Amino acid sequence: MQHNISRRLAELELSAYHPKNGAQRVGGDGMGRQIIHRLLISLPALLGVLFLCFCLLQVVPADPAIIIAGPDAKKETVEAIRKDLGLDQPIVLQFVNYIGRVAQGDLGRSIISNKKVIEELAYTIGPTVELMVAAMLLAVPVGLLLGTLAAVSRGSILDRIIMAISVAGVSMPVFFIGLLLIQVVGYRWGLLPFTGRAGPVWAGGLPSLILPAVTLGSVLIGPIARITRTAVREVLGADFVRTARAKGLKERVVIMHHALRNALIPVVTLIGLQAAFLLGGAVVTETMFSWPGVGRLAVGAITSSDFPTAQGAIMVLAISFLAINLIVDVIYVYLDPRVQRE
Amino acid sequence: MTVDAIGTARTGPAPIVSESALPARASALRRLARDSVALIAGSILALFVLASAVAPLVAPYDPYFTNMSKVIQPPSAMHWFGTDNAGRDILSRVIYGTRNTLLIGLAGVVIGGFLGGLLGILAAFYRRIDGVIMRLVDVMLAFPAILIGLAVAAISGAGILAVVTALIIATVPDIARVSRGSAVGVMSQEYMEAGRAIGLSDLALMWRYLTLNCISTIFVFLTLRFGQIILIGSALGFLGMGAQPPTAELGMMAAQGRDFLFMAPHVAVIPSLAIFLIVLAANLFGDALRDVLDPRLQQ
Repeated sequence: MQHNISRRLAELELSAYHPKNGAQRVGGDGMGRQIIHRLLISLPALLGVLFLCFCLLQVVPADPAIIIAGPDAKKETVEAIRKDLGLDQPIVLQFVNYIGRVAQGDLGRSIISNKKVIEELAYTIGPTVELMVAAMLLAVPVGLLLGTLAAVSRGSILDRIIMAISVAGVSMPVFFIGLLLIQVVGYRWGLLPFTGRAGPVWAGGLPSLILPAVTLGSVLIGPIARITRTAVREVLGADFVRTARAKGLKERVVIMHHALRNALIPVVTLIGLQAAFLLGGAVVTETMFSWPGVGRLAVGAITSSDFPTAQGAIMVLAISFLAINLIVDVIYVYLDPRVQRE
Repeated sequence: MTVDAIGTARTGPAPIVSESALPARASALRRLARDSVALIAGSILALFVLASAVAPLVAPYDPYFTNMSKVIQPPSAMHWFGTDNAGRDILSRVIYGTRNTLLIGLAGVVIGGFLGGLLGILAAFYRRIDGVIMRLVDVMLAFPAILIGLAVAAISGAGILAVVTALIIATVPDIARVSRGSAVGVMSQEYMEAGRAIGLSDLALMWRYLTLNCISTIFVFLTLRFGQIILIGSALGFLGMGAQPPTAELGMMAAQGRDFLFMAPHVAVIPSLAIFLIVLAANLFGDALRDVLDPRLQQ
């Protein structure tokens, strides 16, 4: 799948030129094949993720069998427990068993709370997804708008200001934005809550979501604006845009329907590449705002040496990264049918 | 910017290194000096690097000296940036913190750049192992840097080692791709064949003909990555996965200042601002350097 990203990148320039009207939408069958193909390609990466998480469990300082058996247990008892847990088997077999357990949703129990890790994760995934989606809903339209404005007003003061904002945004640590928002908007002005999550959005949780979402989203606005500007600029010089103008279409229609739509392809690619920033940013944002998500769970678990929980949280984060890339791949095929024809 | 770089780096072979390369480079530097943005960014960057290099000489106080009678003071003539919760001078800590932050980032970029460049060049030179190397790179790309940092910190305990490892792993795959892309272009040049024909060893071909022709692309790309690497490193520091107190590191200092954000925002804001300035200067300077040294990387 990552391999596709590089190919997509190589195609960035080309892809910006394809006229929307000439493109056929991908049918169900081809789409399904594409998705299966992409899933297969991401298997090695998935195995890598699982192996890393398996390694994490191997570093537990004490022998689990001794812990379970207690300090005064006989040697035979400990051996029996080792056998029972499968700890006497070769490491490769243990890894295979581990994958089997993960597939059944058995990620062990937290050392701290003794709750099942899978249950802890179930509580935290929702808030994390909510935060990421909210950040994207904020960053994508704003980034597209700024990028398009900059491209249309090429070389003007507006263009320069927007690009300056975007460079500054790319250079800003996530936590700096968060600190400023907490200090000024949350504390000094007292406008919005800045610790914890009041609940789902539909149950009055919106105010507590705003500051974390703005923090995370602002990291993405800069890159999106930048690539949109480049893509729209290129498309504006393309033949089909000249044709559209020659047909006497209004400039607004030309930009919205002809230019921006085609410029979306590189933007989607970029969003896939930004998934790593989105994820890393989410970990920092959750920690700052005490947002009860997977990232905060992971950081907390690592700080308290809760290996099973840390392993589970890192696995979920890594798999969601793979999933974001998969979704981007699918959207990409949908937007650019030429990829399928290869 | 990463996007454009990978996207176009694989097209077009690098020009062969020749005697004319030196004057060309000198004129590139002159062009760089005429670019006012590059000049300002370069000066800011140089200021940070210089101050942190001679930290013991320029820091007004011992960054670890605690003074409980001077806790959390606002900026003043005696303490330009104020003091923190242990009465330590923030300016001195920022200077030492910059040193650690830069060193951590540099270690990641240099080691990661070396390993990534090596992998990319080997992949381009020995097509038999190309597939294996690039699949390995793909798997590495499946882990966002922050996650690697978290995982390494979980396995080996939080510390500078965890952060540097994460930064190396974050640098290797991108550099491997860029250097492979650039090296594949060079491989198709006639002088490669000529070198082989006169009986040069693989090692000589790889170093003299291949690596030296790709090195400016790799270098420019590393410069462009440096800002991002500093950001990732300081984010891990902020999360408590990196340098441990009392060591001064900018990300960790920002995290510590968070506890006093409402009564004394400067404790957290000043280190954050320092990171922002370093990264901004590095990004602007990297862009300018790319424009003059390797315009092919530009979109």
